[in-house]
Amino acid sequence: MADKSLQRILYVEDEPDIQAVARIALEAVGGFELHVCNSGQEALDAAPSFDPDLILLDVMMPGMDGPSTLSALRELPALSKTPVVFMTAKVQNAEVAHYRQLGAVDVIAKPFDPMTLSTTLHGIWKTYLDEARP
Amino acid sequence: MSTTPDIAQQLRVLRENYARQLPDKLALIEQTFRNGDVDGELQNLRFLAHGLAGSGATFGYPGLSAAARQLETLVDGALCAGRVLNTEENHTAAKLVEALGHETRTPVEWIPTPALPARVTPDAARKLIYLVEDDTELALDVALQLGHFGYTVRTFETPEKLLEAPADDSLAVVLMDIVFPQGELAGPEAIVKMSAAKRLQAPVIFLSVRNDLAARLATTRAGAAAYLMKPIDIGALVGELDELVRDHPPEPYRVLIVDDNGPLAEHHAFTLQSAGISTEVATDPMAILAHLDDFKPDLVLMDMYMPGCTGAELAAVVRQLKNYVLVPIVFLSTESNTSRQLTAMRLGGDDFLTKPIAPEHLISAVSIRLRRYRVLRAHVERDSLTGLLNHAATKDRLATEIARSTRQGSFCCFAELDLDLFKQVNDTYGHLIGDRVLKSLAELLKRRLRRGDIVGRIGGEEFGIILPNTKAAGAAALLDELRDAFSQVRQYASIEREFTATFSCGIAEYRGGSSSNDIYVLADKALYRAKQAGRNRVMLAEQ
Repeated sequence: MADKSLQRILYVEDEPDIQAVARIALEAVGGFELHVCNSGQEALDAAPSFDPDLILLDVMMPGMDGPSTLSALRELPALSKTPVVFMTAKVQNAEVAHYRQLGAVDVIAKPFDPMTLSTTLHGIWKTYLDEARP
Repeated sequence: MSTTPDIAQQLRVLRENYARQLPDKLALIEQTFRNGDVDGELQNLRFLAHGLAGSGATFGYPGLSAAARQLETLVDGALCAGRVLNTEENHTAAKLVEALGHETRTPVEWIPTPALPARVTPDAARKLIYLVEDDTELALDVALQLGHFGYTVRTFETPEKLLEAPADDSLAVVLMDIVFPQGELAGPEAIVKMSAAKRLQAPVIFLSVRNDLAARLATTRAGAAAYLMKPIDIGALVGELDELVRDHPPEPYRVLIVDDNGPLAEHHAFTLQSAGISTEVATDPMAILAHLDDFKPDLVLMDMYMPGCTGAELAAVVRQLKNYVLVPIVFLSTESNTSRQLTAMRLGGDDFLTKPIAPEHLISAVSIRLRRYRVLRAHVERDSLTGLLNHAATKDRLATEIARSTRQGSFCCFAELDLDLFKQVNDTYGHLIGDRVLKSLAELLKRRLRRGDIVGRIGGEEFGIILPNTKAAGAAALLDELRDAFSQVRQYASIEREFTATFSCGIAEYRGGSSSNDIYVLADKALYRAKQAGRNRVMLAEQ
């Protein structure tokens, strides 16, 4: 895999306050190209055309939650390999292991610091590229 | 990371929006809680609490996040067990909902670089604590307070409930009361039972009003990691917890081996290393002083008969050095004559091991002394209020660092801090609040300084910081950042009354030839000028 830089992020979150602060954290602070979805279903509709480098997925959402959104995304051919990062307020080690097993490359803890979120994502992206390299 | 005004402004607007919505969110939680267990309201409550837990700290309400998390954990426990909240849990939940209300009224100021990272610990780093306590009010209070220090607490009202709880890998420490309605020693008895069944790996701290030997013995038999008296001093409890669950392993013990027989010394070194002890070998007894200063051993293992001097003489010399009065000196020798052994002890040795010695005996004899030395040293060197080095220990370290800088031709700086108008704080809010201000500064210094930096409380409201390998400009930048961060920390006199405190600082740089006393005086003068210039500032010494 070529070392491409992280640019396009699809972000799925149902809480408007968190959406707003993440928008600043990722667009204004991080300089990413961001597409925000309110639900798992919206993400499934928007993902193929937006073609994200990475998907940031809230775990606990009403209706389709993070893990079910992930497995539905994996059904779409264009998104079968796109790295997914979970965001959750409930991070115990056992859960992190569980999310990784589901196919998430990492888990970000909420509440997050808007000033460092993009740095965290760059770090995750770098690790992802390093691990994907043969 | 620097923040452009634009981003800061946008974040401020979001914080204000969030603050405006909080009363509605809180009302919804209260309503949901009041509705009780009808129509999946408990699931809703868990969901709402989860939302607050995940957002509060981002918008300046770390306390809200902490309390919401406790509520979420509580409700989650009941839901996972497939039941509704019982009476006790209901009571606790009511208290937590109340605490949420209080926390929504107390945001912390948003600071571009996080001022006290401890308050917003990333949740992956959160440590799970089990608290077994029949006094639910106390349990709730402890849980909330520990939440501020990055711990997640799950409470149990009786030891039986703990026994029933399924194993959790992330459990870090158990806090156990001793007296329960079930028995005067029900706490320790339950722990013994769990350990016997190999169902408990986590260390246990006992909390009790009992101070009698029978209670203490029972906890010792249950393998207590610590024993704290009630009323609980949260600072002391956090200190014990940090010690037990810290991520980086404790500094290894250091043993200096003085023996002119190189291969034998290496053999002993290897034996001790196998037990995780760090060692250094001095085959030339005359070079022991340099080894002491550079290696700072926690124990000296010494041969009795060496060329140039005897071990007993060497021990007497070490004891003349103020810094090493406490360091255990253990002789390792073929000497079996008791009166000669006693002479060596009188001159400053602590113990006598006879060669040849089995590796496991050497390890155990040395380890026991090492452990006790570290505890003893902490008592002698530390200030009990803040846990920082005390005045004498700070001065000793400064002398050691300057000697090291001289030898290695490196730099170091000494900063002297003094809280501004501290007498006014004490007079206005009382000494307890004053103590809390001192602790908050100590905490900030501990968390924000680098690992190699040395911090001490050198007077009532005076602190000293030694910054090895640092030039004046770097030290000034660092201290100014700390000054700025501290001035924005909110100090609470009561729920409604808050204030901020500041400090002034003087910095002196070590230059070849100056003594530790020179540096001390220079820093003190710079501090005086900082005070004269209007306080809340950092000044460099005129050198």
